[in-house]
Parts: sequence; structure tokens; C-alpha cells
Amino acid sequence: MLATADRALARASMALVWSGCAIVAALFMLIIVDVTLRSLGFRPFAFTLAVVEYGLLYFAMCSAPYLVRIRGHVVIEAIVAQLPNLLRQVLAKLVYLVCFVLCAIMTWYSLELLSGAIVRGAVDVRGINMPFWLLYLPLPIGFGLTGLEFLRYLFGLASYYTYDLGEIKDNM
Amino acid sequence: MEWYEAGALLLGMIIAGMAIGLPVAFSFLLTNVIGIFVFSGGWPVMSRIVQDATNLLTTFTLLPIPMFILMGALFFQTGLAARVFDALDKLLGRLPGRLCFLTVMGGSLFSTLTGSSMANTAMLGSLLVPEMQRRGYSNRMAMGPILGTGGLAMIIPPSNLAVLLASVANIDVGRLLVAGLIPGFLLAGLYVAMISLQLWRNPASAPSYDVPRTTAAEKIRSICVNLLPMALIVVMVVGFIILGITTPSEAACFGVLGVIILATAFRCLSRVAIRESLLSTIKTGGMVFFILMNSTVFSQLLAMSGASGGLIGWATAFQVSPFIILAAMFVILIALGMFMDPVSMILITAPIFFPLAVSFGFDPIWFAIIVLMSLEMSQTTPPFGLLLYIMLGMVRKTTLFEVASAAAPFLLCDLILVMLLVAFPTLALYLPRLMT
Repeated sequence: MLATADRALARASMALVWSGCAIVAALFMLIIVDVTLRSLGFRPFAFTLAVVEYGLLYFAMCSAPYLVRIRGHVVIEAIVAQLPNLLRQVLAKLVYLVCFVLCAIMTWYSLELLSGAIVRGAVDVRGINMPFWLLYLPLPIGFGLTGLEFLRYLFGLASYYTYDLGEIKDNM
Repeated sequence: MEWYEAGALLLGMIIAGMAIGLPVAFSFLLTNVIGIFVFSGGWPVMSRIVQDATNLLTTFTLLPIPMFILMGALFFQTGLAARVFDALDKLLGRLPGRLCFLTVMGGSLFSTLTGSSMANTAMLGSLLVPEMQRRGYSNRMAMGPILGTGGLAMIIPPSNLAVLLASVANIDVGRLLVAGLIPGFLLAGLYVAMISLQLWRNPASAPSYDVPRTTAAEKIRSICVNLLPMALIVVMVVGFIILGITTPSEAACFGVLGVIILATAFRCLSRVAIRESLLSTIKTGGMVFFILMNSTVFSQLLAMSGASGGLIGWATAFQVSPFIILAAMFVILIALGMFMDPVSMILITAPIFFPLAVSFGFDPIWFAIIVLMSLEMSQTTPPFGLLLYIMLGMVRKTTLFEVASAAAPFLLCDLILVMLLVAFPTLALYLPRLMT
């Protein structure tokens, strides 16, 4: 059951990562075309600025869950690594729990902003009319999946810390 | 709550979070959530964290961060870096300590083509340390120049940290990028002088050895084929910014285009290289963005709690030379760097240090170069300088002490450059002033 959920979560995180890669590639091409048009004396796209700015937010949120899975968020291990094993394990669980709770809080408040934007039907007018909810859409998805990734560590499916990797591999 | 209590609480929470192994981004997030309760309205205003993060990340000037990472990753993944290296190798001939000089030349060039000091150090270390050890170089001579040169990527444009610092400190990204050019190459010159001095004192530390003879024609051919075309990337990034053809954010995309054009011309652009480069962008860029998204709320909490205002008032109340304050900020950055990564250091110190520097009449661009120099130095200071550990991981049979002592002469070069910048601010400000 836990393994099935983990596989589904991995697939969702990877899907977001490839979306993030596609966004980076798209932003690159958009800027090249926009500047080329401008330099050749044509009118550049009116939507470039807005699309790039939204794209950067999507890029950040698409990468967050995958970074948790691959232990890509920077941690300072030097101090914790000196502690006795039991204390280290307790602290690790506390860290996973804190991260999960923080993500849950962020998910809740971003959902609140998203639903508020949908209800109001507000539009972001900057060269192109974009529904305002598009701005908040990646936040609950990104924070939600990031929280679930930490839950995976909390349930003992893996360890976020390099000093633990040997032990966890043996246990698995 | 007094300003110093508020400051200690906010900074203490971040440091305590990091110390217990909380990921850096989440240490900031936790501090922000608790800070909102202590200094603001609690739950009713909690959505401000999400809103401020959204506002910050939807900033066009942050575009160079993923683009410079992509540019550097493509440069390494397609094998263009190896070509540059081969060309430089042929140029140096049988010069004593040639691999040390190759490190500085290659590292400076890589710095103009990538934006990451970690990638620079890892690349130089993995390519050159085994070869230096095989040729009988002492560990100090093998590691020192790499540690020094690796950090050049922080100041020589394009530098990701410079973009980040400019965004957080609210200064012009283009001017800051260009400002790093003269100090960066001056520092490379100081490194060359330091290596020459070390070789003069102890020639046995980097013995000369036979290398296959390269004719002048071969050297010229290698320069024309493998080295000169790389100028296209430099022109498309720095040249376009100086000439005003593109904004710094757009120039980063043209840097990526430059690498793609060259890799296509050399027939080394593969699907695997593109995929790996994009994944590398996600890993590094995503990590930086996730830390960065907490910076606005943190700066506001510092301001709202009175911590930053109180500190500025306290510092300016002293009847001391502004340079004493500058030295104090410099020492704080070096000390923080002993146990913290550069992104966190920027987020913690920029909201306090930049208003302070401006209040003392320092040019923010010049001050940002000093900050970048401090960040560079802090990465090679023990016990937790990140570049020291990258080197420790690559070199067998060495100790942290040996790695740190190998870096020490190059830290001295950094310090000399900082003093030169203080004495002659024009070194950093000449090029930005040329920009329209």
C-alpha cells in the first residue's frame, strides 16, 4: 500500500520535473524570438514579460517535490552527524514532521488564495489577459507534493541524510 | 521587544534550524511562520508568506539564474569544456608548474562560460588533480590553485550569485555583472603571481615533465578551432549587455544560444546532453529559488521587528570610520561562511548590510563586489567551506587541514584584491559607469 503510494508520488514528482524542464526550454525560446523580433525592427510579443514571470514561479514549484526526493534541498549535516545515533534519528523525524507541517500550512494558504482568485474571477492584464488563478495554481500542487515527499521520509521509506543512507539501504 | 532581541531571535531561529538538519529553505520558512506570529498578526496574515513568495518569484530579473545554470551545464555536458582545456594545454608547452597555470587559465575561462563556483571547482578538480598527482605535484600545489580559481566564478560574469545578490539587494543586475569583470581577471593575475612565487620558493612542488612537442601551426590551429569560437558565448552574454542589445536577463538566454550554436557546430549536441543539462538546471535552480522565495518575508520581518533599523542606528551612532564598519561586515560574512552556504548568507545579510553600506555612503555596486569577494573567500575557509569539502572528496590521502592550508595563499590573494578594491573603487566601477 505504502509502496504503491510511493510509486504514484514518484511519478507525479517526475511529471512535474519534466514540466519544469519544458518550461525552461520554452522560456529560453520565447526570449530568443522576442529579442530577435525587436532587434530586426518588428514588434515583439506583448505577453513575453508576463509569461516569463509566471514561468519562473512554475519552474520553482515544479522542481520542489523532486528536490526533496533526490535530497536536493541543501542541509547542513556537519553538526547533526556528531550526535549519538538515537538522538540523530529523533531529530531527523522532527525535521521531517516540521517540513511536512510547513508544507501543509503553505498548501492551505495557497489553496485559499487560489480559490479566492477563482471566485473573484480577477484577470491579470499585462500585454495578455491571464486569469489571476493561474498565478496561484502551481503553489498548492508544489507545496502539497513537497509535503507528501517529506511524509515519505517520516514513514521511514528513506532518509534525507547522507550519514544514514547505508543504514536505511540495509533496512530496506 | 528590543531590536537586538528581535534580531537574535530571527537569526537564531534560522541558525538553530540549520544546526538540527532542517533544509536551509525550510529553516527560513519556519522562521518566517514563527516571525509572523511574534511580530505580525499571526494566522490572519499568514497568506502573506505565500503572496510575497509569489511576488518575488514572478520577477523577470531572476531569469538569468536558471539560464546561466543551463548554459554552464550544456557547456560541460556537450564536451565543449574539454575542448577548451585541450587547447590551453597545448599552449603551455613545457612550462614548469604548467598544470597550475592551466588551472588558472582554464578556470578563469570557465568562469566566463559558466556561473557556478561548485561546478568550476568540481570540473577543474576532477580533470587536473589526478594528473597533477601522477606528475608528482605536491598536494598543496595540486589543490591550492583549483580552490582559488574555482571561486572566480562568483565574481567573473556570468555569476549566478551576483544575479541573486542584485535581486535581493535591489540593485542593477547588469551593472553588477559587468562590475565583476576587471576584479575577476585581476584576481586571476594575482593567482598566477602567487603560483610563480610558490614555484620559485619550492620548484620540486610542481616538477616539470616532458610533454609531446606541439608545433606553432598546431597551437594556432588549436586556438582558432577550440578557443576563439568560445568568444561567441562571452560576446553574447557580456558584450550584448554592455552594448545595450539585451537586458542582463535576456543576455543569459543568448549565452545558452551561444553554447547550443557552438555545440551544434562541433557536432557534440546530443539529446542526452540536453536532458542532463535541463535536469541539472532544475536541481540547482529549483533549490536556489525555493530558498529565495522566503527572502521577502524575512527582510520584512527584520524591518518590522526593528532589527535592521536598530542595527543601522546603532552602527551609525559610533564615531568610527566607515571602513571599520566595512571591515566588520567583511569579517561577519567570512565567519558566517564557515558554516553556511552563500545563498543563505545573502538572504540573511543583504537586507541589513546594504542599507547600512548606503547609509555610510558606499556605492552599492562596489559594495556588492566586496560582498561577492567575501562569499568567495568564505567558501574556502575551514571548518565548513563548501569548496574545501568538494576538494576533500576528490583527493585521496589528504586532510581538511592540508586542503585548507593549500587554499591559504590564494585567500591572501583574495584579501589583497579586497584591499585594492577599497583603495581603488574604480576597479569595480569603471565598466558599470560606461553603461548607458
